[in-house]
Amino acid sequence: MRRFISVCLALASVGLATRVVQGARPRYGGTLRVEVEATIRSLDPAAATSDVAEAAARARVVGLVFEPLVTIDEHGLKPLLATSWESDPRGARWQIRLRSGVQLHDGSTLEAWHVASALRVSEPAWTIAVESGAVVISPREPLPDLPWLLADVRHAVVVRGSDGAFAGTGPFRIESREPGRLSLRAHDAYWNGRPFVDAIRIEMGRPAAAQLSDLESGHADVVAASALDARRITQRGLHIAASRPVDAIAVVFEPHRAMDTALAWRRTLSAAVNRASMSAVLLQRLAEPADALVPRWLSGYAPLFAFDRGPTLSRAAIAALPLDQRELTLRVDASDSLAHAIADRIAVDAREIGFTLKVQAPLGLAPRPDARLVRVRAPNTSPDRALAVLIERIANRDGGTVQATLPPGATLDAVYQAERQLLERSVVVPIVHLPDIYGFSDRVSTWNHTAVSESGAWNFADVWLRGGAP
Amino acid sequence: MRLRTRLFLLVGGVVAVAVTLVTWSISTTARRSFETLDLQRTDALVLQCRRELATQQEDVKRRLDRLASTDLVLRTAHEIGRRGTDYAPFVNEAASLAALQGLDFLDLVADDGTIISSAHWPARFGYRQSWATNRRDGASGEAFLQAIDLPGETAIGLVAVRGVPSGARTIYIAGGRRLDQEFLKSLQLPPGIRALLYRNVEAEGSRQPLIDASGQRLQAAELQPLIARVKQTGQEHAETVQWPDGPETVHAIPLAGAGGGVLGVLLVASSGRELAALMSRIRWSGIGLGFLGVVIGSALSYVVSARVTRPVEEIADAARQVAAGDWSVRVGGMHGSGEIGELAQVFDGMAAQLVEQRERLVQAERVAAWRELARRLAHELKNPLFPLRLTVDNLRRARTLPPQEFEEILDESLSTLTTGFANLNTVVGGFSEFAKMPAPAFAKVAPNEVVERVVALFRAQMQAPGCPPIAVTLELDPSPEPIRADGEQLGRVVQNLLLNAIDAMPQGGQLRVRTERNGVSFRLDVTDTGKGLTEQERQRLFTPYYTTKQHGTGLGLAIVQSVVTDHFGKVWVDSVQGKGTTFHIELPTGAQPNGANA
Repeated sequence: MRRFISVCLALASVGLATRVVQGARPRYGGTLRVEVEATIRSLDPAAATSDVAEAAARARVVGLVFEPLVTIDEHGLKPLLATSWESDPRGARWQIRLRSGVQLHDGSTLEAWHVASALRVSEPAWTIAVESGAVVISPREPLPDLPWLLADVRHAVVVRGSDGAFAGTGPFRIESREPGRLSLRAHDAYWNGRPFVDAIRIEMGRPAAAQLSDLESGHADVVAASALDARRITQRGLHIAASRPVDAIAVVFEPHRAMDTALAWRRTLSAAVNRASMSAVLLQRLAEPADALVPRWLSGYAPLFAFDRGPTLSRAAIAALPLDQRELTLRVDASDSLAHAIADRIAVDAREIGFTLKVQAPLGLAPRPDARLVRVRAPNTSPDRALAVLIERIANRDGGTVQATLPPGATLDAVYQAERQLLERSVVVPIVHLPDIYGFSDRVSTWNHTAVSESGAWNFADVWLRGGAP
Repeated sequence: MRLRTRLFLLVGGVVAVAVTLVTWSISTTARRSFETLDLQRTDALVLQCRRELATQQEDVKRRLDRLASTDLVLRTAHEIGRRGTDYAPFVNEAASLAALQGLDFLDLVADDGTIISSAHWPARFGYRQSWATNRRDGASGEAFLQAIDLPGETAIGLVAVRGVPSGARTIYIAGGRRLDQEFLKSLQLPPGIRALLYRNVEAEGSRQPLIDASGQRLQAAELQPLIARVKQTGQEHAETVQWPDGPETVHAIPLAGAGGGVLGVLLVASSGRELAALMSRIRWSGIGLGFLGVVIGSALSYVVSARVTRPVEEIADAARQVAAGDWSVRVGGMHGSGEIGELAQVFDGMAAQLVEQRERLVQAERVAAWRELARRLAHELKNPLFPLRLTVDNLRRARTLPPQEFEEILDESLSTLTTGFANLNTVVGGFSEFAKMPAPAFAKVAPNEVVERVVALFRAQMQAPGCPPIAVTLELDPSPEPIRADGEQLGRVVQNLLLNAIDAMPQGGQLRVRTERNGVSFRLDVTDTGKGLTEQERQRLFTPYYTTKQHGTGLGLAIVQSVVTDHFGKVWVDSVQGKGTTFHIELPTGAQPNGANA
């Protein structure tokens, strides 16, 4: 009997080990089912859109089909289609050498003129030439950090055919486009190795709740998730992956609340927000408390702001304020449940010190709020460009109250001073930085859990599916 | 006012008063009964509200008990205890636990009062909530009322607290249900009763804290004094509130929290509007029935009064006909019994007696007339006959006289006899003439000329020497318009009147003849200054053959009356004894009365 039990245990151990090895071993084939909330109307990286959600989704999808010359990871600039670059000391003329043997989706080989043509579309102001197989870029003004700029998805290399079709060099090619659905097919001749999955089917326009439901019911493999849903996903045996914090959540006061006379209570309100508790509990440690607009991983100077907020009002002083200064309306995007939850927490913190903050999430016309909770994406680039873009995006929504001037190629100290100057007035109050979070079904496997890069890009070329094709 | 009208008003009034009294009595009794019933119903509903509150308390307690004993809660508590103070993974637990038991509120609270998770206010994690940890009364703790903070408002909650072991510590689940319009709906009040909830947990003036079962916020300044009294005393109060559309009796029940403070006031309002509407319906029904009763009573009274008064009216009509000369009217056959029948019989008897008496009277009058006629005839004939008998006696005695003397006596006797026979012939002719009075021959006649002609005939006689003088005065109407009359008979009338006046003044006097036209009538007045007439003479003045004179036939004035009657006129007399008499005659100028002219 004992021998029989030993044999059974041995067989079970062998079976379990085989299953573990099979789970860790990549396999080819299958279709990765991805769902996004936005509807991507154009896959042209150079196309402009005012829809922030669409722009973010397009950046992710475009990264699967088209590739820029360089990219940015946690170590800095990294060659992609370019192999090297050099410039004159002022950065007025750049010469970029390309990777050889890169095959486009249409079967042709990537040439320097392809790159030059693509860059001329995305940056018409630049002078771009091809010399000795290299691409020579002469910006209108010297750009010492031009490679950082080229890492933007907007400068991905797109070869536009005469029939309007796009061809790129990414791991997937466009197979078909239907209303609400985009199908990509693995690029067999991808220069960095063929993807494991055969295809990716992207369902667009799926609401967040439906995505989560599809993920839990096994109808989707990758969905966008919120920090609020993280525990629910993991409790069901699924897993999540997050980028570095890329979205800045900030309270921006409206012009009628941005006077210098109200500076003290703006500071008081800013100081009352318990960012740490919000990040740790509400956002399940998937967010970072934000003392500055530019994320800490990008600037490094953010902690300096935490200790220098200026004088604040006591509770008695707040109680003595006129009623109209103690009652505020904070507007949030009605479709953004996470922003609504953050606003609710801000309202709780404000209530504890004597402010009454009403959260307003209008679907139509509504009275003018006192402040807005904005969500702006920090680009994956240099700190000066990131701050400039953040300020620009806030200013676009703010109507001109928020302004800062930052010269191209500014030093980190100059960036810090500019942001300090911006935040000192407490018209813009950073709250948290949020990452891109994705939920994955248990079919999705990768090595080192790198399905989503730290920058938020989709590394679906490294993903394989367990259990074969659906 | 006629008897029928009086009877109708009397019976109708009695019916109306009776109906009004009955209607008022029923209305008053019904109102008092309904008020009593309404009071009892409101008391029952207030009791029902208390029971419903107790039921809800028991329900919350049971739900918390069940929740505290579920594996999920025990496992969560164990996990919280294992993780120490890292509550982040459990921040959303309360929502699912609350949904499990259908609770409106649920907080997971650490033993130091820190909110681990809140179902009703998820963003409030990390803050302290004292009331849950202050009521550490274990698994048997009763549910109680508590002010619950919510985003943007404060609600009244019926909550209970349960402790759950969490490793070496204890976590508390504090939850319950909201006391709001759903609670008010659960009361299932009948029509006319409404329940309101006043929440005394929000800052004054921040919002209207009074809601009804539909959740609608109410503006009710009228209720504020009652609410303020309940808040102040913590006791139940009731009062009647006057709304623009009617009164409402409101019972206010304080909702005391665990600390004894009044967290809210439950108002059970019984609308007097329903009662008023009911009373109005009863009143109007009473008025309607009363009106119907009055109408029916009036009709009945009309019928009764008509039935009662009709024979009386018929008897009255019959009496009027009898008075008008119709002696043949009888009412005895119309009514058979009762007092009215007896009256009719008496009336008929009386009418019969009247007829009989009239006939007797007529007979007596006729006999009297014949006697008078006989007397007059005897008188008129005896006077001429007496000289005739003396003359015949003289002749008989004169047969012995010499023929010459006899002849003389014979001639005288024959002359006397002739005169006597002439007198007899005159008497008989007068009677004959009266008997043969012809019908008048109407023609256009100038009345003044007739009067002047007749007066002229008598003027010589009245002014003859040796006779007492009679002065004649004519006052004739100057209008030349003729009248339709028989000129000869009219002259005879004037002649008889003048003769009568002359005979009335044996000592002389004044005679005044006056004519006057007055529209459609002609009037003749003949006035003398004689000794006048006695009442008896006046009554019998126009009786044929009646006279007060020594040598009259008694037919003059009878002829006057006959002619005037034939001319559709009338004659009457005014007389004052010792001063004189005036005969008045009035004739229609057209000789036919009332437009009956031919």
